[in-house]
Amino acid sequence: MKNQLKVLRAMRNWSQAELGEHLDVSRQAVNAIETGKYDPSLPLAFKISRLFGQPIEEIFDDGFDGGQNGEA
Amino acid sequence: MTDLTEARMEKLEDEGSNGRNFLWITLAGLGIVMTLGAIAGFMGEHQADGGGELSGVGVAVLISFGAIVAGLSYAIWRNVKKLKSNGEPMTKREKLNRNIIVGLGLLGGVMGFVLSTSSIGNADGNGPGSLSAIFSSGPLPLTVVLPFVFIWVVIMPVVAWFWHTRAIDEQEANAYRDGGYYAAYAFLILAPLWWVLWRGDFLPEPDGVAIYLIFSLIWSAVWFWKKYR
Repeated sequence: MKNQLKVLRAMRNWSQAELGEHLDVSRQAVNAIETGKYDPSLPLAFKISRLFGQPIEEIFDDGFDGGQNGEA
Repeated sequence: MTDLTEARMEKLEDEGSNGRNFLWITLAGLGIVMTLGAIAGFMGEHQADGGGELSGVGVAVLISFGAIVAGLSYAIWRNVKKLKSNGEPMTKREKLNRNIIVGLGLLGGVMGFVLSTSSIGNADGNGPGSLSAIFSSGPLPLTVVLPFVFIWVVIMPVVAWFWHTRAIDEQEANAYRDGGYYAAYAFLILAPLWWVLWRGDFLPEPDGVAIYLIFSLIWSAVWFWKKYR
Protein backbone atom coordinates (compact mmCIF):
# COMPACT_ATOMS: atom_id res chain seq x y z
CA MET A 1 0.00 0.00 0.00
CA LYS A 2 1.36 3.41 -0.96
CA ASN A 3 1.78 5.90 1.88
CA GLN A 4 3.18 9.27 2.88
CA LEU A 5 5.19 8.01 5.85
CA LYS A 6 8.60 8.85 4.40
CA VAL A 7 7.52 12.42 3.58
CA LEU A 8 5.95 12.95 6.99
CA ARG A 9 9.04 11.54 8.69
CA ALA A 10 11.37 13.78 6.68
CA MET A 11 9.27 16.81 7.63
CA ARG A 12 9.90 15.96 11.28
CA ASN A 13 13.59 15.35 10.54
CA TRP A 14 13.37 11.87 12.03
CA SER A 15 15.41 8.86 11.03
CA GLN A 16 13.67 5.52 10.53
CA ALA A 17 15.05 4.43 13.89
CA GLU A 18 13.61 7.51 15.60
CA LEU A 19 10.19 6.96 14.07
CA GLY A 20 10.43 3.33 15.13
CA GLU A 21 11.03 4.48 18.68
CA HIS A 22 7.93 6.68 18.59
CA LEU A 23 5.83 3.78 17.30
CA ASP A 24 7.51 1.08 19.42
CA VAL A 25 8.45 -0.93 16.33
CA SER A 26 11.83 -1.74 14.79
CA ARG A 27 13.59 0.41 12.19
CA GLN A 28 13.16 -2.54 9.82
CA ALA A 29 9.38 -2.37 10.29
CA VAL A 30 9.35 1.36 9.50
CA ASN A 31 11.37 0.66 6.35
CA ALA A 32 9.00 -2.14 5.30
CA ILE A 33 5.94 0.11 5.77
CA GLU A 34 7.52 3.04 3.92
CA THR A 35 8.45 0.89 0.94
CA GLY A 36 4.97 -0.66 0.81
CA LYS A 37 6.25 -4.15 1.56
CA TYR A 38 4.27 -4.42 4.78
CA ASP A 39 0.83 -2.98 5.52
CA PRO A 40 0.50 -2.03 9.20
CA SER A 41 -2.29 -3.36 11.40
CA LEU A 42 -5.22 -1.07 12.16
CA PRO A 43 -3.94 -0.29 15.70
CA LEU A 44 -0.51 0.68 14.29
CA ALA A 45 -2.12 2.71 11.50
CA PHE A 46 -4.10 4.64 14.14
CA LYS A 47 -0.91 5.16 16.13
CA ILE A 48 0.80 6.60 13.04
CA SER A 49 -2.24 8.74 12.32
CA ARG A 50 -2.25 10.18 15.85
CA LEU A 51 1.53 10.72 15.83
CA PHE A 52 1.40 12.85 12.69
CA GLY A 53 -2.01 14.41 13.41
CA GLN A 54 -3.48 13.30 10.09
CA PRO A 55 -6.35 10.96 9.22
CA ILE A 56 -5.38 7.44 8.13
CA GLU A 57 -6.67 7.96 4.57
CA GLU A 58 -4.40 10.99 4.20
CA ILE A 59 -1.36 8.87 5.06
CA PHE A 60 -2.26 5.56 3.39
CA ASP A 61 -3.56 5.11 -0.15
CA ASP A 62 -5.28 1.79 -0.85
CA GLY A 63 -5.78 2.67 -4.51
CA PHE A 64 -9.58 2.92 -4.20
CA ASP A 65 -10.75 5.52 -6.72
CA GLY A 66 -14.30 6.05 -5.49
CA GLY A 67 -15.87 3.13 -7.38
CA GLN A 68 -15.43 4.72 -10.83
CA ASN A 69 -13.84 1.54 -12.16
CA GLY A 70 -16.69 -0.69 -11.12
CA GLU A 71 -15.68 -1.23 -7.48
CA ALA A 72 -18.48 -0.84 -4.94
CA MET B 1 10.71 17.36 0.43
CA THR B 2 12.65 20.43 -0.46
CA ASP B 3 15.15 22.29 1.67
CA LEU B 4 16.68 19.18 3.19
CA THR B 5 19.32 19.99 5.77
CA GLU B 6 22.60 18.09 5.80
CA ALA B 7 21.56 16.25 8.94
CA ARG B 8 18.30 15.23 7.34
CA MET B 9 20.12 14.03 4.23
CA GLU B 10 22.35 11.87 6.42
CA LYS B 11 19.31 10.39 8.11
CA LEU B 12 17.63 9.64 4.79
CA GLU B 13 20.80 7.96 3.55
CA ASP B 14 20.69 5.71 6.59
CA GLU B 15 17.60 3.96 5.27
CA GLY B 16 16.78 0.68 3.63
CA SER B 17 16.85 -2.95 4.60
CA ASN B 18 19.70 -4.65 6.42
CA GLY B 19 18.64 -7.97 4.93
CA ARG B 20 21.52 -8.35 2.49
CA ASN B 21 24.08 -7.54 5.21
CA PHE B 22 22.52 -9.99 7.68
CA LEU B 23 22.42 -12.64 4.95
CA TRP B 24 26.13 -12.22 4.22
CA ILE B 25 26.96 -12.22 7.94
CA THR B 26 24.97 -15.44 8.43
CA LEU B 27 26.44 -17.18 5.37
CA ALA B 28 29.97 -16.10 6.27
CA GLY B 29 29.43 -17.32 9.86
CA LEU B 30 28.23 -20.71 8.59
CA GLY B 31 31.18 -20.79 6.20
CA ILE B 32 33.60 -20.23 9.09
CA VAL B 33 32.00 -23.02 11.15
CA MET B 34 32.15 -25.42 8.18
CA THR B 35 35.73 -24.48 7.34
CA LEU B 36 36.76 -25.02 10.98
CA GLY B 37 35.01 -28.39 10.78
CA ALA B 38 36.97 -29.16 7.61
CA ILE B 39 40.23 -28.20 9.37
CA ALA B 40 39.32 -30.46 12.33
CA GLY B 41 38.47 -33.29 9.92
CA PHE B 42 41.68 -32.79 7.96
CA MET B 43 43.81 -32.84 11.12
CA GLY B 44 41.88 -35.88 12.40
CA GLU B 45 42.68 -37.74 9.18
CA HIS B 46 46.30 -36.70 9.51
CA GLN B 47 46.45 -38.03 13.09
CA ALA B 48 44.73 -41.26 12.01
CA ASP B 49 47.40 -41.71 9.34
CA GLY B 50 50.11 -41.64 11.99
CA GLY B 51 50.51 -37.90 12.59
CA GLY B 52 53.95 -36.38 12.33
CA GLU B 53 54.95 -33.37 10.26
CA LEU B 54 52.56 -32.16 7.59
CA SER B 55 53.66 -32.48 3.97
CA GLY B 56 53.95 -29.42 1.71
CA VAL B 57 50.51 -30.16 0.29
CA GLY B 58 49.10 -30.49 3.80
CA VAL B 59 50.54 -27.13 4.82
CA ALA B 60 49.15 -25.55 1.63
CA VAL B 61 45.69 -27.00 2.39
CA LEU B 62 45.81 -25.61 5.94
CA ILE B 63 46.94 -22.19 4.68
CA SER B 64 44.06 -22.22 2.17
CA PHE B 65 41.58 -23.04 4.94
CA GLY B 66 43.09 -20.25 7.05
CA ALA B 67 42.75 -17.80 4.16
CA ILE B 68 39.08 -18.80 3.73
CA VAL B 69 38.42 -18.19 7.46
CA ALA B 70 40.23 -14.83 7.29
CA GLY B 71 38.30 -13.80 4.16
CA LEU B 72 34.96 -14.76 5.69
CA SER B 73 35.84 -12.93 8.94
CA TYR B 74 36.64 -9.84 6.89
CA ALA B 75 33.27 -10.19 5.10
CA ILE B 76 31.50 -10.29 8.49
CA TRP B 77 33.37 -7.22 9.71
CA ARG B 78 32.59 -5.30 6.48
CA ASN B 79 28.90 -6.14 6.62
CA VAL B 80 28.59 -5.28 10.32
CA LYS B 81 30.14 -1.88 9.51
CA LYS B 82 27.65 -1.39 6.66
CA LEU B 83 24.58 -2.12 8.78
CA LYS B 84 22.17 0.77 8.52
CA SER B 85 21.53 2.69 11.74
CA ASN B 86 24.56 0.96 13.18
CA GLY B 87 25.29 2.71 16.47
CA GLU B 88 21.92 4.45 16.64
CA PRO B 89 19.96 3.82 19.81
CA MET B 90 17.61 0.86 19.51
CA THR B 91 14.16 0.60 21.01
CA LYS B 92 13.74 -1.63 24.08
CA ARG B 93 12.01 -4.21 21.91
CA GLU B 94 14.85 -4.28 19.39
CA LYS B 95 17.46 -4.63 22.15
CA LEU B 96 15.52 -7.45 23.79
CA ASN B 97 15.02 -9.13 20.41
CA ARG B 98 18.73 -8.90 19.61
CA ASN B 99 19.73 -10.20 23.05
CA ILE B 100 17.38 -13.17 22.83
CA ILE B 101 18.59 -14.07 19.31
CA VAL B 102 22.26 -13.78 20.33
CA GLY B 103 21.60 -15.73 23.55
CA LEU B 104 19.82 -18.53 21.69
CA GLY B 105 22.56 -18.58 19.06
CA LEU B 106 25.18 -19.07 21.78
CA LEU B 107 23.05 -21.73 23.48
CA GLY B 108 22.65 -23.49 20.12
CA GLY B 109 26.41 -23.35 19.59
CA VAL B 110 27.05 -24.90 23.01
CA MET B 111 24.41 -27.59 22.38
CA GLY B 112 25.92 -28.36 18.97
CA PHE B 113 29.38 -28.62 20.48
CA VAL B 114 28.13 -30.93 23.26
CA LEU B 115 26.26 -33.10 20.72
CA SER B 116 29.23 -33.33 18.41
CA THR B 117 31.60 -34.37 21.18
CA SER B 118 29.47 -36.56 23.42
CA SER B 119 27.76 -39.11 21.18
CA ILE B 120 28.65 -42.63 22.26
CA GLY B 121 29.46 -45.01 19.42
CA ASN B 122 28.14 -43.00 16.53
CA ALA B 123 25.58 -45.06 14.57
CA ASP B 124 26.47 -43.34 11.29
CA GLY B 125 30.15 -44.07 11.65
CA ASN B 126 31.02 -40.41 12.26
CA GLY B 127 33.54 -39.99 15.03
CA PRO B 128 32.89 -37.75 18.03
CA GLY B 129 33.92 -34.17 17.27
CA SER B 130 32.76 -34.19 13.66
CA LEU B 131 30.13 -31.74 12.47
CA SER B 132 27.87 -34.49 11.15
CA ALA B 133 27.86 -36.15 14.58
CA ILE B 134 25.49 -33.38 15.71
CA PHE B 135 22.70 -34.89 13.58
CA SER B 136 23.61 -38.52 14.05
CA SER B 137 21.34 -41.10 15.66
CA GLY B 138 24.03 -42.42 18.00
CA PRO B 139 23.18 -42.97 21.68
CA LEU B 140 23.78 -40.16 24.18
CA PRO B 141 24.72 -40.29 27.87
CA LEU B 142 22.01 -39.40 30.39
CA THR B 143 24.09 -36.42 31.60
CA VAL B 144 23.56 -34.88 28.15
CA VAL B 145 20.00 -36.07 27.55
CA LEU B 146 18.52 -34.63 30.77
CA PRO B 147 19.81 -31.04 30.36
CA PHE B 148 18.68 -31.11 26.70
CA VAL B 149 15.20 -32.25 27.71
CA PHE B 150 15.09 -29.45 30.30
CA ILE B 151 16.12 -26.89 27.65
CA TRP B 152 13.53 -28.05 25.11
CA VAL B 153 10.66 -28.58 27.56
CA VAL B 154 11.16 -25.71 30.03
CA ILE B 155 13.52 -23.05 28.66
CA MET B 156 12.43 -22.94 25.00
CA PRO B 157 8.66 -22.48 25.59
CA VAL B 158 9.33 -19.67 28.10
CA VAL B 159 11.78 -17.91 25.77
CA ALA B 160 9.41 -18.37 22.79
CA TRP B 161 6.49 -16.90 24.74
CA PHE B 162 8.64 -13.99 25.94
CA TRP B 163 10.00 -13.39 22.44
CA HIS B 164 6.55 -13.30 20.85
CA THR B 165 4.91 -11.12 23.49
CA ARG B 166 7.69 -8.73 24.46
CA ALA B 167 10.51 -8.66 21.90
CA ILE B 168 9.21 -8.68 18.33
CA ASP B 169 6.98 -6.14 16.62
CA GLU B 170 4.01 -6.86 14.38
CA GLN B 171 6.00 -6.83 11.14
CA GLU B 172 8.31 -9.55 12.42
CA ALA B 173 5.37 -11.50 13.91
CA ASN B 174 3.76 -11.36 10.46
CA ALA B 175 6.96 -12.59 8.80
CA TYR B 176 7.25 -15.38 11.36
CA ARG B 177 3.63 -16.42 10.84
CA ASP B 178 4.08 -16.54 7.06
CA GLY B 179 7.19 -18.67 7.56
CA GLY B 180 5.09 -21.04 9.69
CA TYR B 181 2.46 -21.35 6.93
CA TYR B 182 5.02 -22.18 4.24
CA ALA B 183 6.80 -24.66 6.52
CA ALA B 184 3.53 -26.31 7.59
CA TYR B 185 2.37 -26.79 3.99
CA ALA B 186 5.79 -28.10 2.99
CA PHE B 187 5.56 -30.59 5.87
CA LEU B 188 1.99 -31.63 5.00
CA ILE B 189 2.98 -32.23 1.38
CA LEU B 190 6.56 -33.51 1.63
CA ALA B 191 6.29 -35.84 4.65
CA PRO B 192 3.56 -38.13 3.17
CA LEU B 193 5.21 -37.83 -0.26
CA TRP B 194 8.48 -39.15 1.14
CA TRP B 195 6.58 -41.89 3.03
CA VAL B 196 4.72 -43.02 -0.12
CA LEU B 197 7.87 -42.89 -2.24
CA TRP B 198 9.65 -45.00 0.41
CA ARG B 199 6.87 -47.56 0.29
CA GLY B 200 7.20 -47.58 -3.49
CA ASP B 201 10.90 -48.27 -3.03
CA PHE B 202 11.96 -45.00 -4.66
CA LEU B 203 13.53 -43.37 -1.57
CA PRO B 204 15.13 -44.53 1.68
CA GLU B 205 13.00 -44.62 4.85
CA PRO B 206 11.77 -41.16 5.98
CA ASP B 207 14.25 -39.53 8.33
CA GLY B 208 12.72 -37.53 11.20
CA VAL B 209 15.81 -35.37 11.68
CA ALA B 210 15.94 -34.49 7.95
CA ILE B 211 12.23 -33.59 7.97
CA TYR B 212 12.76 -31.43 11.07
CA LEU B 213 15.72 -29.65 9.42
CA ILE B 214 13.82 -29.04 6.15
CA PHE B 215 10.83 -27.70 8.14
CA SER B 216 13.08 -25.38 10.18
CA LEU B 217 15.03 -24.23 7.13
CA ILE B 218 11.90 -23.31 5.16
CA TRP B 219 10.41 -21.49 8.16
CA SER B 220 13.63 -19.53 8.76
CA ALA B 221 14.15 -18.70 5.08
CA VAL B 222 10.61 -17.35 4.64
CA TRP B 223 10.82 -15.42 7.93
CA PHE B 224 14.08 -13.84 6.76
CA TRP B 225 12.71 -13.02 3.30
CA LYS B 226 9.52 -11.49 4.67
CA LYS B 227 11.30 -9.50 7.34
CA TYR B 228 14.23 -8.15 5.32
CA ARG B 229 13.14 -8.13 1.66
